[in-house]
This record gives sequence, structure tokens and C-alpha cells, in this order.
Amino acid sequence: MSALRLISNRTSQQALSNSDYTWDYEYYEYGPVSFEGLKAHKYSIVIGFWVGLAVFVIFMFFVLTLLTKTGAPHQDNAEPSEKRFHMNSFVADFGRPLESERVFSHQMAEESQSLFHFCINEVDHMNKAKESQKGPSLESNTHFQEVPRSSGMFEEDLHSLTKFNIPNFVNTEQNSSLGEDDLLISEPPIILESKLVMQSSHRILD
Amino acid sequence: ENISDSSLNITDCTQVVVPEEVFFTVAAAGILENLLILIAVVRNKNLHLPMYFFICSLAISDMLGSLYKTLENIFIILCKMGYLTRHGDFEKKLDDAMDSMFILSLLGSIFSLLAIAADRYITIFYALRYHNIMTLRRALVILAIIWTFCAGSSIAIALFSYEAATVIPFTILFPLMMFFILCLYVHMFLLARSHAKKIASLPTSTVHHRTNMKGAITLTIFLGVFLCCWAPFVLHILLARFCPHNPYCACYMSIFHVNGTLIMCNAIINPMIFAFRSPELRSTFKKMLYCSR
Repeated sequence: MSALRLISNRTSQQALSNSDYTWDYEYYEYGPVSFEGLKAHKYSIVIGFWVGLAVFVIFMFFVLTLLTKTGAPHQDNAEPSEKRFHMNSFVADFGRPLESERVFSHQMAEESQSLFHFCINEVDHMNKAKESQKGPSLESNTHFQEVPRSSGMFEEDLHSLTKFNIPNFVNTEQNSSLGEDDLLISEPPIILESKLVMQSSHRILD
Repeated sequence: ENISDSSLNITDCTQVVVPEEVFFTVAAAGILENLLILIAVVRNKNLHLPMYFFICSLAISDMLGSLYKTLENIFIILCKMGYLTRHGDFEKKLDDAMDSMFILSLLGSIFSLLAIAADRYITIFYALRYHNIMTLRRALVILAIIWTFCAGSSIAIALFSYEAATVIPFTILFPLMMFFILCLYVHMFLLARSHAKKIASLPTSTVHHRTNMKGAITLTIFLGVFLCCWAPFVLHILLARFCPHNPYCACYMSIFHVNGTLIMCNAIINPMIFAFRSPELRSTFKKMLYCSR
């Protein structure tokens, strides 16, 4: 950047008599700099900087990896639960061709609505009708489509949660058809909602 | 100080020159890639969302950075070939304009990354009100404010680049923003992890450590790429301001062109880690490329 050369020109003006503005590949005149008697290697700042940067990035990575050690037990499961978490692995391969980003932000909002359900009252009693209204995610879309929607019951439940100011709108955007997954018909809502939120956050991070 | 020719001996740090072909290839690739992203977002109505507008803003600032480097190289070549004088007023003004373009690109990059992180944060933590908080109009207003601020600051910094007062805030802004973005992402990451825990604690459930690991990798890549591409240059500015005569500093500053190339590499990598992760954008791309055949 030639502005930097301008800086260096001005600071070296005490030494050089005529340092006029030149525009050149040589950004810096080494006239006043003496390389005699260097104690350390001359590229020590370069090496030190890059080593420090690499160490910092690796350190950050290890800190984040340590955060991921949830310590949950692995289980060898039958088919249904594997299928259930097949959708978790979906977020790992972010390249599902059927996913439509048009609904992504809507889904994010609706999926994370389930976050609040989960956090607040561990909904057992909320039936799938309400969920279908509020949370069309990709994986559970086929599941939700089959369930009739009733907005009234949902609002009643929400009114009881005075802590949250939940808007009274539903944005059920139909996304593209799903692939192979006929999942979650029998799945309890808690797992579904939690997974939805986890997927949404993982979708961002993956 | 005495200028002694003996100081220009073999222990000097000569400028590390990046071949012009490499320079131009990297710059052209960066400009092309980001231009394609802009075209894709404009053409596909499904992508008219705040999230994609912020990604577009990032693409624009990356394009400006690569454009700056390309133009600068072109002008230097023209100088060498004699078409432009080296000491003219016009060249000086042109140079100032290009410097401000570069600073605009840097500030635009930082603020776009911040906007993307904030948008994702709001999506997760304020999801119920996301559509009220982040309307399309608000996103455009935010982008207008960001770019106006960046333009003003870049012109001010380019004009007053001689003062320490501009260099110091500039170099403080960089780690501050990085740290803030890191905090936002780590918070989101922790939420994802806590949900993984909750799911894992339920009966008949497995845990995919792989997904959590991938989150750590993605986050590290996000921030590591930005750090590695911009921090060398920011350090260069600091050293040029505060210790230009120190031989160690001078040796660091001799790799200036490598730092510039790194910034252009950032313009190439950023679309891959932000824009191309969206399947909708990828499918728009494919449609565009196949239609053009």
C-alpha cells in the first residue's frame, strides 16, 4: 500500500534529503536500516508471528473440541433410533439436494420455537397437531403434513407461558418433498423438538 | 543517521516478490467467484433473504479487495512501462482513492462477517421473533449503515493515514471484532452442544460425535481463515507506523506482497465457507452454469 510508503517516507525524511513520492514495487527504502549485529534471526518477527497464529488457531480448535465432549454413552440401537438420528447426520452432510433455503429461515424460527417449548415445560401434553402447525422442518415434514392443524390449542398452551411473548403467527411454508425419510411418526415430541433445534444450530455450524 | 552502503549487504531483507501471474490469477478468481454469487442471489427469488444479503455484502467487500490489488498492480506495471509518471498529482490522488478502496474492503469484510454472525445468532436465540426483528427492509437498512460508515472511515483513514490516531483504532477494531464474532459463535456452539447433551441423555438415543466435531471444525475454519488472511496485513500496518527502522520490522515488512496475496486468497475462500454451504445457492449455481452451456 503506497500510503504505507508515504508513512515510511515521512519518517525517514530526517535521514534522506529527497524522498519524494514514488510509486514503485519497492515499498520501502532500506537506506536508514542497518542490519549489522542482529542478535536473533532477521525473520524472527515473521516466524514468531506465524507460529503464534498457528498455535492460537490450534488452541481454539482444541478448546472447541473439548467443548464437544458431551460424554454421552454410545448405544448400539435398533433400526428406529438409528433412523431417528439419521437426521442428525443429515446436518453433517449439508448437501441434501432437496433442501430449500427459502424455507430455511422460516424453519429456523419454527424449529427454535420448539426450543422454547423444550426449555419451558418439557411438553408431553402438546400433541402433534400443535407441532405440525409450528414446526415444519425438513425431516419431520412428512410427519407433520399428515397431522391436522389446530391453532387454537397451541395458543392456549402458549398463553399459559407468561414468560414468553410468543407471536401469534404461523408461517408454515411448504418446502420441497422429502427424500427417503418417513421418520418420526411415533416419536415423542421432546426428542423431535430438541433435535430440531440441534439441527438448526448445527446447520449453521456445519 | 548515516546512510552507509555497507548496510545494504547480503543480510538485507529484500522484498519478497510474488510473480505477477500468481497475483492476477488469484485476484481474477476472487472477483469471478464473488461476482457469480452476487448474480446468483439476484436472479433467484428464493434467495432474497436477510441471510443472503449479508453474504452478498461479504462478497462485495471481497471483490473490492481483489479489485484493488488488481488495479494497483496494473498501475504499477503502467508506471514501469512509462505510461504514468511516478510523481504526479493525479497519481497521488489515484493512489489515495485506491487505498481508501482497500480499507473499505477490509472494514466491509469485518462488518459483513459481524452481520452474518449476528443474523445467525438472532436466528437461534430469538427465533420466535426472528421474522419481526430481521425483516428484509431492516437488513437493507443495516447494510446501508454499515457501508456508509465503512466508506466514511476508509476515506478518513486514507486521508489521515499519517497520524497514529488512525492507525491505532484501525488495528484495535480488528481484534475487537474478531473477538466479538468469536463470542457469538461460541455461544451458538454451546447451545448446540447442550442440545446434543439433552438428546443424548434421553433413552434410546445415540450421539453423533461427528456432528459436534464438525461444528468445532467449521468454527475454527471460519475464524482461522479470517485471522490468517488479515492479521499479517494488520501487523504490517502497525510495524510500518511504529518501528519502520527496526531491522526485524523491516524484514517483516518485506513480505508485504505475500500478505496482499493472502488477502486475495481470503476473497476466494470466504465464498466457500459461507455462500457455498447453502444448498439453495449451490443449486442456483448449477442451474446457471448448465444453462450457459
